[in-house]
Amino acid sequence: MSARTNLGAVADWRSWAVLRRNALVFARNWRTAIIPPAMEPVIFFLAFGLGLSGYIEGLTYRGVEINYATYVAAGLIAYTGFGTPFYEALYSAYVRMFYQKTWDGILATQVELPSVVWGEILWGAVRGTVNVSIVSSVIVVFDLLGVVDVKLPFLLFMPVLGFIAGCAIASFALIFTAIVPAIDHMNYPVFLIGWPVSLVSNTFFPVEPKSPVLHALMQLNPVYQLAECARGLLVIGNPGPHLGGLLASTALFLVPCTLVSIRLTRRRVLGD
Amino acid sequence: MVVDHLDLSCRRGTVLGLLGPNGAGKTTTLRMLYGFVPPDEGSIAYAGKPFAENRAEVKRSIGVCTQDDSLDYDFTVAQNLFIYASYFRPRVADLNTRVAELLDRFELAPYADASPHVLSGGFARRLLIARSIVHRPSVLFLDEPTTGLDPSARLDVWELVDGMRAEGLAIVLTTHYMDEAERLSDELLVIHEGRSVAHGEPYRVIDSVLGDHVIIVPRAEPARAEIAAWLDARGAKQVATVLGELRVPVSKEDLAELTVRFTEAKWQVRPPNLDDLFIALARRNGRVE
Repeated sequence: MSARTNLGAVADWRSWAVLRRNALVFARNWRTAIIPPAMEPVIFFLAFGLGLSGYIEGLTYRGVEINYATYVAAGLIAYTGFGTPFYEALYSAYVRMFYQKTWDGILATQVELPSVVWGEILWGAVRGTVNVSIVSSVIVVFDLLGVVDVKLPFLLFMPVLGFIAGCAIASFALIFTAIVPAIDHMNYPVFLIGWPVSLVSNTFFPVEPKSPVLHALMQLNPVYQLAECARGLLVIGNPGPHLGGLLASTALFLVPCTLVSIRLTRRRVLGD
Repeated sequence: MVVDHLDLSCRRGTVLGLLGPNGAGKTTTLRMLYGFVPPDEGSIAYAGKPFAENRAEVKRSIGVCTQDDSLDYDFTVAQNLFIYASYFRPRVADLNTRVAELLDRFELAPYADASPHVLSGGFARRLLIARSIVHRPSVLFLDEPTTGLDPSARLDVWELVDGMRAEGLAIVLTTHYMDEAERLSDELLVIHEGRSVAHGEPYRVIDSVLGDHVIIVPRAEPARAEIAAWLDARGAKQVATVLGELRVPVSKEDLAELTVRFTEAKWQVRPPNLDDLFIALARRNGRVE
């Protein structure tokens, strides 16, 4: 199949049928599924936001003085927007592919492989959207408690940003899902890519590389763009250049990663 | 090359048995027929429509029951049928009625709201088959549908296959059980090393490859080695040794001469069956010409 056909499958009903299947499973287990994302930001606020706030003073963001907890609030949006689709497309997709043989069953129907991959990408992004929404709700509570000071109406944009970045991240993670020999090998992408990226993307502390190469690489990182976009909106109500940066970096990741994921998944699942 | 110059066809209301030893090319053939991998050469057509040019339409008309358990354990038994139907367009007409009908026919109604985890092997297989026809296909692929089932469950699956054939489905069946292939198949296609070595009605296939009779010379027969040497000299190609017994397909003429020549020897004679064919194919290196 051509690259155009593979990319165009995102609009195909078959991709949405795969997404729907995953959403139905989530809908059955939503009570247990939402507890971790709701608790995680609370723990991070306690550990980073409140724990370190006393040691970090005089933090300014684009000319506005903010407390560290407010800085971390946007970081949590990015952290969740990255981690949720990343782990969903790594572990959950792998379980569906390898252990549950769910993909085998689906591929025995009218659904084609590019649609399975797109369905998983979209589902990873939707899961990211759901969890970012939950984190946003927690931020509302912390704002009302006076722990953080964010522009509350702009929290409504966070799920949309999470969905955009989630597509890029899920497509990237699916490459590993297609190539790892066993689930234990997921530790490599998790610890070599997941953790470093989630920490050096202006999530919990600002990173300002002096090297122009590193600076340029950072602009290509959708997690960094997500963090800065969210922070710009929550602190001053303006994402600045980072909304465009998020869209561009997402496109730069999504297109090649999706094509590679489809190719590698085809080889693994269909033996072609 | 895994499969080479293989021609096969399956008509409505018939079962085509696809046989061959491990590594013969059955799985590759099926994967091409499902559309998982494209053939390097040749073409596949369903009801006269080339697969490659009518992919979506063709896939709507075929049902696939894979050998592996690919049931969706995140859903109940009934939901498995509903969710599977959602992977087809045009949508399945009267889906609620269709699901109820299948649950009833495959005796799955008592488990409709249960997880497939509670199903025995036989009932899980029923659900797999029911799922593969929920969209009312005209062609059904059954890949080793009774592997791992107890004899009673196997017979139940046979009945279901027979019923689906009677309804006009064209069924392509692979199995390692020779009795199953013999009883269920209207036609057999025997594959060896990626090529068709025999094709036709089961008894004709056996005749064409093995001949008229199989003699079984027991291990304790004193003239066993002598008989083997004599048969070898006569050009018997399919000599198989099973637990020390000699099993040799022979023609009517050879059998008559053997009887005259070895008057004191004891052996059994029976008609050849698919087990003989399977063993012969699995143990040979060359093709049957």
